[in-house]
Amino acid sequence: MSKNVLVVDDEAHILHVVSMKLRNAGYAVTTAMDGEEALELCRAEPPDLLITDYQMPLLSGVELCKALRRNEQTRDIPAIMLTARGFDIDAEETRQAGITVVLSKPFSPREMRRAVDDLLNNGHDARGAGVMR
Amino acid sequence: MTTARRFGIASLAVILLGFAAAYYATAMALQGRLAAGVSMRDALLMLVAGVCVLMLLVFWRGVHGSVRCIGSQLENMTRTGEIGLVMTQGRHELAGVTRPLNEFFTNVRSQIEQLRSENRELQIQSRIAAAEKHHTEAIIFSISDAVLVTNQFDEVVLANPAAEDLLGFQLRTSVRRNIDKALGDARMVRLIRETRSHGREQSRKVVEHEIEYKGVRRTFAVTLSCVVGSGNQVSGVVAVLHDVTREKEIAKMKTDFVSNVSHELKTPLASIKAYVEMLQDGEVDDEETAGEFYGIIAKESERLHRLIENILSISRIESGVIKVVKEPLSLTAVAKQVLDVATVQADAKGVTLKRKLAPVYYQVDADSDMLYQVVMNLVSNAIKYTARSGTVAVNTDVDEARGVAICEVRDTGAGIPAEDLPHIFDKFYRVRANNELAKGTGLGLTLVKHMVETVHDGRLTVTSDEGKGSTFTVELPVLR
Repeated sequence: MSKNVLVVDDEAHILHVVSMKLRNAGYAVTTAMDGEEALELCRAEPPDLLITDYQMPLLSGVELCKALRRNEQTRDIPAIMLTARGFDIDAEETRQAGITVVLSKPFSPREMRRAVDDLLNNGHDARGAGVMR
Repeated sequence: MTTARRFGIASLAVILLGFAAAYYATAMALQGRLAAGVSMRDALLMLVAGVCVLMLLVFWRGVHGSVRCIGSQLENMTRTGEIGLVMTQGRHELAGVTRPLNEFFTNVRSQIEQLRSENRELQIQSRIAAAEKHHTEAIIFSISDAVLVTNQFDEVVLANPAAEDLLGFQLRTSVRRNIDKALGDARMVRLIRETRSHGREQSRKVVEHEIEYKGVRRTFAVTLSCVVGSGNQVSGVVAVLHDVTREKEIAKMKTDFVSNVSHELKTPLASIKAYVEMLQDGEVDDEETAGEFYGIIAKESERLHRLIENILSISRIESGVIKVVKEPLSLTAVAKQVLDVATVQADAKGVTLKRKLAPVYYQVDADSDMLYQVVMNLVSNAIKYTARSGTVAVNTDVDEARGVAICEVRDTGAGIPAEDLPHIFDKFYRVRANNELAKGTGLGLTLVKHMVETVHDGRLTVTSDEGKGSTFTVELPVLR
């Protein structure tokens, strides 16, 4: 079974590209346009990985990840953050929110896919299923 | 003094001699020796005694006259307060006394003269110092920054009205009062004390300090310096409080602006880069999707271009370097031009464009390109945020009483939530609820507002009812 990645961004184009890249790589992709919607999706069915934008309406990427860490069911979901606010990001806060990789916008979908592959194949996933490419 | 004593002793000797001669003559007479015939020696002695007594009288008279003369001159000096020379008026009996006396008087007089001259000098210096003090106070009082001066005992010495106003005390009632009683600001008191006690180790420091002034918290740069007096001792502290609230706000706005600009520029750039890379990596295998990708890249490039143009225009208007060519033109004519072009966009979206235009002869003094951009931006926005089969109405009118030409763009679109309404002219502000309806730079309305109000002295206002529509109104002064 392919691994499920949840992608959250308020820019429709970014959602489009990221989902397409990951689907082509064999991942199952779910999308959300804001942090609260993402949080609900995570609680309903925890994904294997989360890719989130930093600046979003209702709940920022960091706040979303912090909320996930507070819940037993969603605590271990690895997270990648995409951001166009490179200088405003507090590295310590990001680390505490359990965000493993931060990619600066404009980002390379190629690099993003590599980061997803690395995270899902190097034991970050507690459920440990294989990845179909 | 010695001369006077010697003179006294001589006088006493002569008097005694006279008394002896007289006594002797009297004794002789009593013994009857005179009747029996006075010897030659006795007669001579008596004569000498007589002469002596006579000389003594003459001498006494002379001395007495001189002393009276000197006494009257001294009395005269006492009366007039002037020290002169003591004259003996040809009587030389007391010359030995008057010479040193006159030398002494001459010395005293020259010393008095010198003291008088020094006194005059001091009076002049004192007047100059008072004038300089007054001048310095006038300078300190005229400074708009708050200035407070304390002495080595931490007492208030001087403060200007700005300091009185800001720190809430009155100089008149606070002079020589300790600062912990005069000032209600504990941190300020501590800062002044620390500066004084650290003294020469640290001659000047600048500390940021917040003070609530007229109900608003303001930030001040407080410059504290020690006043070092003679003997290199700290004789007080000068505190100057400069309001940096506005500077800090501007600095923050600049940082936020740069941060927002870079975020807004990176967003379309991120899409362009991602789509280009997808095409390069062969992630798209059908023509149709590839065509869609090229279309997105073109649109995002256009968005990036508009964003850069808008940022530059706003920046030019704000810094006053934009080239404005104003000429008399009709707002109605401009609205017509815009409507002709916007019909295509409205038709494509299925939105009905309505118009109700005032006669063209009312003119405003405006830059035609800018005015076109203003109306076009408002009409284009109205179409973007209005759903299919909605209506956008463009009306022009003139309010003769207020002397303004009016252009109103009214739509039956999504409307603006009440909480967003006060911010919609802010840079990069986007109504999140309407984010899905149209892509924007978040700068369009900021630019329109600037063009209407900063460049043309007009007014741009908005009213909106969420879910029912919005009305943007441009008012420009009519040319008479």
